[in-house]
Amino acid sequence: MSSSSSSKMIELRSSDGETFHVEETVVLQSETIKQMIDDDCANAAIPLPNVTSMTLAKVIEYIKKHAEKPKDDDDKKVAEEDLKKFDAEFVKVDQESMLFDLVRAANYLNIKSLLDLTCQAVADSIKDLSVEEVRKKFNIQNDFTPEEEAKVRKENAWAFD
Amino acid sequence: MMTSSFRQDHTTTSYPQPPPSATVDHFDVLPDSLLLVIFNNLKDIKSLGKCCVVSKRFHTLIPQVQNIMVCVDCVVSDNNTTKPYKPFSVLNILRHMLGSVSNFLRPMHADVDHKQQKHHSPTHVLKNFKDVRELTIELPKGELDIEDDVLLNWRADFGSTLRKCMMLAASSVTKSLKEDEVNGNDGSIPDTFYTNGGLKMRVVWTISTLIAASARHYLLKEIIDEHKTLKKLVLSDVDRQGVLRMNKEEMDELRVKPLSVSLATNRTSIPALSMKLWYAPYLELSDGSVLKGATLVAIRPSEKLVSKDVNDGSWVDFEEFEEPYRTAARMLVKRKTYGLEMNSF
Repeated sequence: MSSSSSSKMIELRSSDGETFHVEETVVLQSETIKQMIDDDCANAAIPLPNVTSMTLAKVIEYIKKHAEKPKDDDDKKVAEEDLKKFDAEFVKVDQESMLFDLVRAANYLNIKSLLDLTCQAVADSIKDLSVEEVRKKFNIQNDFTPEEEAKVRKENAWAFD
Repeated sequence: MMTSSFRQDHTTTSYPQPPPSATVDHFDVLPDSLLLVIFNNLKDIKSLGKCCVVSKRFHTLIPQVQNIMVCVDCVVSDNNTTKPYKPFSVLNILRHMLGSVSNFLRPMHADVDHKQQKHHSPTHVLKNFKDVRELTIELPKGELDIEDDVLLNWRADFGSTLRKCMMLAASSVTKSLKEDEVNGNDGSIPDTFYTNGGLKMRVVWTISTLIAASARHYLLKEIIDEHKTLKKLVLSDVDRQGVLRMNKEEMDELRVKPLSVSLATNRTSIPALSMKLWYAPYLELSDGSVLKGATLVAIRPSEKLVSKDVNDGSWVDFEEFEEPYRTAARMLVKRKTYGLEMNSF
């Protein structure tokens, strides 16, 4: 949409062997990939051993949307609103684990805005939950002994009033 | 070669792939550095306090959080935990200073039954956070309990005392402008402003703002002394009526320079001030709303003034106001500037 048809395509390969073709201008949002292109290491398919095809497809959906350039100032305001809506929908994932995969992928690919967005989404999903709800939601094992837990609860009693 | 360049940049590349089972701890796939990013985004101190109890890993990481928000449920005095003090003192001081002031300041009624609730001061709840860099404290509401129609927003910067302050106010915000009201809106203050109580009201608003700001500043001293890692401190309220900011250099000044306390009050004393005032009987904003009696006041300590400060606009940090009031402030400074002086109090 934003770039000319002559834009160079970059090939990405997910951990499970699927390849994706993405315009170079879009994929440059990943600092990691940008570095590889700058170092001239992107002539063949770029292997991404830590990102599954499912996660990579989501990441590409995100960077494609964020690569769209508004035509003029009027368009800019509309585009900003549109992008906000997109971001809000983007982090509404069916499975909690997908959000964590996206955090990992955003960190690995070094896409700052995506890392901020996904970490904020995880943080928002923790907020206002009780201790037990947090453990249940994220499958966290309580590794305190009952005595230890009682002590930590006492230290942080102010958080429970 | 490609993979080696990955590894140089990212120390955390070799995660185990999570098994497909739903019983895996989601956080196990993330390194500590990313958990800290998440906790720094969480900010809310109550949620962080609860998270400490979730697991040993959380308990170890949370004291390292650098970005914290403390939402205060109710405002009480440190010395006497059952007496809400600030709003009353504002009222009393104003009565004393101005005699028969109109009753736009009403004492703020506490929403919470103070005897029923245990109170934890921000100082207490922050005790375990040894590395906090950015701290935001949010009061349940602005302490100036103004009438519903009145708009009053203030923004202040403090070091050991007031550095600068701005106040944007209007006697009402309405949706439309009547034709006949537009006349005579030529940039200077109409004579009636001085005679119909308009000016007096602005002075009351300004003093109230300064009292509220200096009372907030006084509350921060203990936190600033205990948390030397702080780089940015904001004391705001839910309505964003008032926002007090301090940066690292300003907090350093407060730590070395003794704070001067105003006599018999719980607030920092305010030095002699110079003020610039802009006024518009009616100010129409781009969203169609109209500020009646729109006023912008920019305040600086008199002794800090240097000759290069003559440029009126440089007294105002427009960015501190949210829209549409940022635009309102920009429109106001284009009008005639009026100067005022005020003694230390």
